[in-house]
Amino acid sequence: MRREYTEASDAALVVSIGRYEQAALAEAYRRHAGATFGLAKRLLNDHARAEEIVQEVFVRLWNEPNRYDPERGTLRSFLLAHTHGRSVDMIRSDVSRRTREEKEAREQADGGYDVAREVWDMALAGHVREAMETLHEGEREAIELAYFGGLTYKEVAERLDEPEGTVKSRIRSGLKRLRGELVQAGVTVGAD
Amino acid sequence: MDDMVGASGDAYELDELLGAYALDAVDDDERRRVDDYLQVSPRASAEVQVHREVATMLAFTGMDAPDDLWGRISDEIGELAPPPGPELAKVMSFDDHPKRRRISTIAPWLMSAAAAAVIVFVAIGLADSADAPNEPLANAVELARADRDSIIATLVAEGSDASAEAIIDQDGHGYMLARDLPTLPEGQTYQLWGVVEGGDVISLGIFGPNPELETFTIEGSVEALAITIEQHPGVISNGNPDGAFVGTF
Repeated sequence: MRREYTEASDAALVVSIGRYEQAALAEAYRRHAGATFGLAKRLLNDHARAEEIVQEVFVRLWNEPNRYDPERGTLRSFLLAHTHGRSVDMIRSDVSRRTREEKEAREQADGGYDVAREVWDMALAGHVREAMETLHEGEREAIELAYFGGLTYKEVAERLDEPEGTVKSRIRSGLKRLRGELVQAGVTVGAD
Repeated sequence: MDDMVGASGDAYELDELLGAYALDAVDDDERRRVDDYLQVSPRASAEVQVHREVATMLAFTGMDAPDDLWGRISDEIGELAPPPGPELAKVMSFDDHPKRRRISTIAPWLMSAAAAAVIVFVAIGLADSADAPNEPLANAVELARADRDSIIATLVAEGSDASAEAIIDQDGHGYMLARDLPTLPEGQTYQLWGVVEGGDVISLGIFGPNPELETFTIEGSVEALAITIEQHPGVISNGNPDGAFVGTF
């Protein structure tokens, strides 16, 4: 790995990727592949398909680096948003989805929906957990089912037997509250 | 007035969707509506970005990617994405006269591209006629079109009735009205290229097989635009051309 890339900002890496510097993509992969793989695996519960998504996400970054705008957020956020979107697409087109949902529903009935059991070991995890705990239960459930369950807000509403408008508002207000809590804890989350 | 009330109500409804949109928790129709809304509302766009940053925090698991995955990615980009730049840029240096250079260098570049790509649509002149789309994004397009500092160009291909219109505002926001371009067969895509200051040729975006109103961004000035048909994004096709399509601003 060229030293200049290990010390480069994400934005500089993407500029170099645009010049077809494969070492720059390798550095971006080193920094963010773990997070993208973790998210895809969590959503899909399938190692092979999670790998497939990560490969697609980084190949797309290689082919279309201009889609990333550093002024609009971090590279990690950009890559995770794409990872999440593609994983959700895969879930929604999956013929075995019904099976998966039934399995999830059983798990939820047994032990509740654990938001981030893999997250808590991380330094950030404490802040995230505390922030999640400040949410109203309805907000927390809606965000968990939408983000980690890959459900639309309408499906979440059906699952929770709540009006669609209520769930839609709870997701938005919950995300705002989360950000506020994280910022208060000293975590930088997007622009003010 | 009714329209204003309607627009305001619509904006409120779209604002309420922003959280769900950021989590990919909307259906396709809603996603398209929010996509258009974000094009004309920087505030909403910023809110979505913040929501996504928050989601990033939730998603952080600290896992490592599998050991052999990078090797597969490296293999794939090695096959799919060789640098197209040098192949196109090296023809830029053989004419010293600045004014003439712009014209004569574009033609060889196009000939080079045409030798590899199937069809090239090239920007050849100013234009002010196109049907405005009936979506919120149309407002941004019309604002750009009305701004006298914007660049407006029509991209045409010799021997074809199809054309596309490009509008680039003074901040470098570009809009491509490409509804007239024929739908491509599966596996092909339209790709937009720009010749920027200094003669470099850069990719400005992949438009897919059936583009409508597409957006792109340009940093600095652009001397020419071209749309090619590609087998794989980022790679000039190796297939034989049906014909060469050449033009200049």
